[in-house]
Amino acid sequence: MAEMNINDAVVTTRLDAVVNWGRKNSLWPLPFGTACCAIEFMSMMASKYDMSRFGAEAMRFSPRQSDMMLVLGTVTNKMAPILRTIYAQMAEPKWVISVGVCASSGGMYRTYATLQGVDRVIPVDVYVPGCPPRPESMIYGVMKLQEKIEKESLSMRKEHIARFYESLARQEALQAEKGLTGQQTIRNMLMDAAERGAGTIF
Amino acid sequence: MAHPASPFLPILILLLVAAVTAIAILVLSGKVLPLLKPNNPQEAKLRPYECGVPPLQEGARHKYSVKFYLTAMLFILFDVEAAFLLPWAVNFKHALWTFAAMLSFMATLLVGFIYAWGKGAFEWER
Amino acid sequence: MIIEHIDAQLPGAVTDRHAFRGDQTIVVAKENLLALVDLLYREGFQLLVDITAVDWPERPNAEGGAAAGRFDVVYHWLNLASQERLRVKVPVADGGTVPSLTGHFKTADWFEREVFDLFGIRFDGHPNMKRLLTWDDFPGHALRKDFPLDGGDPFCMEGCTAPYNNGERARG
Repeated sequence: MAEMNINDAVVTTRLDAVVNWGRKNSLWPLPFGTACCAIEFMSMMASKYDMSRFGAEAMRFSPRQSDMMLVLGTVTNKMAPILRTIYAQMAEPKWVISVGVCASSGGMYRTYATLQGVDRVIPVDVYVPGCPPRPESMIYGVMKLQEKIEKESLSMRKEHIARFYESLARQEALQAEKGLTGQQTIRNMLMDAAERGAGTIF
Repeated sequence: MAHPASPFLPILILLLVAAVTAIAILVLSGKVLPLLKPNNPQEAKLRPYECGVPPLQEGARHKYSVKFYLTAMLFILFDVEAAFLLPWAVNFKHALWTFAAMLSFMATLLVGFIYAWGKGAFEWER
Repeated sequence: MIIEHIDAQLPGAVTDRHAFRGDQTIVVAKENLLALVDLLYREGFQLLVDITAVDWPERPNAEGGAAAGRFDVVYHWLNLASQERLRVKVPVADGGTVPSLTGHFKTADWFEREVFDLFGIRFDGHPNMKRLLTWDDFPGHALRKDFPLDGGDPFCMEGCTAPYNNGERARG
């Protein structure tokens, strides 16, 4: 994403280092578990693979109390507005890891019912491929997110989150104006985005 | 050489520590923390959480049964009676007058108790 | 066994039959369906396991005849007493209807709604003939062979089939 381009001069200071150290070592996950990847997540949180070593023991099912949303499993077109609402209700700083191929790209479900990748509707930071990914892969994904967080800066503005909220406002306006359901509105927005060549609706 | 107010010195220290803590918390959360945290107030973040769907029912405006209120009120009354009983019991000195005074206090409340019992206030199921 | 009973009591109803490794399948015309269902219920086939359909686009789409109609509505029954299973296929034309079994079997309600949603076959006498899995104004019927396999993904870059809803937006 251009706005978070690490190769540009994002100068991190000592204060940034301290804050980022605190944030990356206490990532509380919000498991948005819909399918099999959620089972692998459970196994990752259990004692053998143990996510708690990374500070991510406190998994909270409330968006208010968590930092990191793990999208675990297939997201259908009907679930897309719900996913957007939950992402919107999370407090910043927040990150998203898309776990498994269904969340990353629709996976083996190239059908009318499945959202072909959650990055079409919410901003994603790390993608973990696999069907399902082994717990070690998921831990590697979280470690990659930690590396990404290390390079952030307090003075950096997260454009993708701002654009997400704008798209959420647009979605709600369209829904109210035309009386469509969330799923239909998002499908319309996807078709509009495809026409203008964007990859996402935000 | 002991200062005449020295037994109260710990209280002064407590007061100072409390004041410093309170001011420090106010300053940190008001001035320092906003520089460190991301600031993106959004209306969507304030909405009630209901698993991502719009709320199906208007908040917690259900109709509550009056028996909860009744139980709470009775509890307060008899708990206050017990609270008055305790210091009386501590200072009781085997005099008839004090005993009679407490008995008359309890008799007043006993009348109310019998009335509530007769009215069925103690039966939860009704 | 059951097929002999059917032949005895409804002669000529079974237009085709085949068996494969213990399966038994018969093909009947839709006019005989309700009589067949009554017979099966009396003979003990009281568990309707499934109703589904198959789309044969290369079949000539005409009413009547042995292999008529684009669709085959497929019913599965289980006889709980004798553990015998039976499959019944009913050819239907595109736009044709089949008598509903909701009077006899409560499960037929949602099975028939699912068949309507995914194939477009209507059932006469169904109390609530609406779509079940997709939404009310979903364009098309998803399991027909001419429905795009990838659902008309608007971001499709290669191997794209027809666009979703021909690129039309949903209107309220």
